[in-house]
Amino acid sequence: MRRLGELERSVMNVLWDAVAPLTVREVLDGLGERDLAYTTIMTVLDRLGTKEMVRRERDGRAFRYAPALTRDAATSELLHAALDEAGTDRTAALVHFARTVDPTEARALRAALDEIESRTSP
Amino acid sequence: MTPVLLGVIGLALALPVPAALARTSWPLLVPRAGIVLWQSFALAAILAISGAALSTALWLVTDDRTTWWRIVLHLVILATGVLVWARFWWAASTVWRETRTRRRRQRHLVDLLGDADGMAPALRILREETPIAYCVPGLSSPRIVVSQGTISTLSTTEYAAVLEHERAHVRRRHDLVLEAFTVLHRAFPRFLRTDAPLVQSQVMIELLADDAARRACGDAPVARALVALAGAPTPAGTLGSGSAAAVRMSRLQDPDPRRVVASIAAYALSVLVLFAPTVLLAIPWMFHAWRTLVP
Repeated sequence: MRRLGELERSVMNVLWDAVAPLTVREVLDGLGERDLAYTTIMTVLDRLGTKEMVRRERDGRAFRYAPALTRDAATSELLHAALDEAGTDRTAALVHFARTVDPTEARALRAALDEIESRTSP
Repeated sequence: MTPVLLGVIGLALALPVPAALARTSWPLLVPRAGIVLWQSFALAAILAISGAALSTALWLVTDDRTTWWRIVLHLVILATGVLVWARFWWAASTVWRETRTRRRRQRHLVDLLGDADGMAPALRILREETPIAYCVPGLSSPRIVVSQGTISTLSTTEYAAVLEHERAHVRRRHDLVLEAFTVLHRAFPRFLRTDAPLVQSQVMIELLADDAARRACGDAPVARALVALAGAPTPAGTLGSGSAAAVRMSRLQDPDPRRVVASIAAYALSVLVLFAPTVLLAIPWMFHAWRTLVP
């Protein structure tokens, strides 16, 4: 599975770097040196399709594949959830290490830290 | 009498009692027992309110002392019970669905945009200078996500403490605790609930994960990581509620934060709250129901 995950990343990067939708053959060429089967790439594109990362459009008798969202859009969607400072995620889908505090609280935290440091390093 | 008493107990456990308890903040001293305590309050409230609805329904069917105000009173109790039950199941299914959808989307994005780390299979590193550290929990394929900014901000031991903290969330299924509280929170109508159990449970799982991290990495690295990440400048310009960080820090200041007596008290109170309404009211009522229905 891990290998499939890496392949999905590589295929996605090929699609993101392309200026126009690509055929399976073009994706395979874009991946370059690797010894990969045509059907493997189809499987990967299928999987990316079910994940709503890739959309497929008909071009004559073949299909062409394009990213469902740009790399920038994907990054900003990810970071938007990752930096959800206001806590709008009420379903607890993500569990953050710490939320950012205001400067007054940050000072209080640092004072408490000094006390812990002095306790643990005699 | 039973439906009114059960209804009063249910409403008390839903709103004034948790609100009063939240003001004392002692549940935060015993996070594990505190989670059990808050859960038992909410469950007991739901049980009492549904017990009230059940017994009131029986009263409406069987009793012959029907004055108009008694009928209205019982209809109100019945409606509240039905409302809370319906909302409970609705909340359970929507929370379950929404959470899974959001997590799946996050996992897909993180897997495509983050770099895997050879050492830890669940770890993904984002190419982003803002310090970020969180986990996408789940049974099948959890992810722990950090940014390059986190790695460059923290020392090796602090970074290890953050990873240990997140691993504790994943390993101990803290997400299930949060989901349960989210469901119970949504189950009660807005005018019948307090935010205290949900908010405090969010802090409590952080305290438990901190406990795990300090056992593995020591007190100071956890505290330093907390100060470094909570004190980081925010790019979005919005500030979260920081009270959790202060509570966590004061627990870290305590060399031995275990409170045996308080824990036992919290567990005992949980058992009492869960079973007292059942024993005191439901059993006599069941006898009564039995006698009424089976002549």
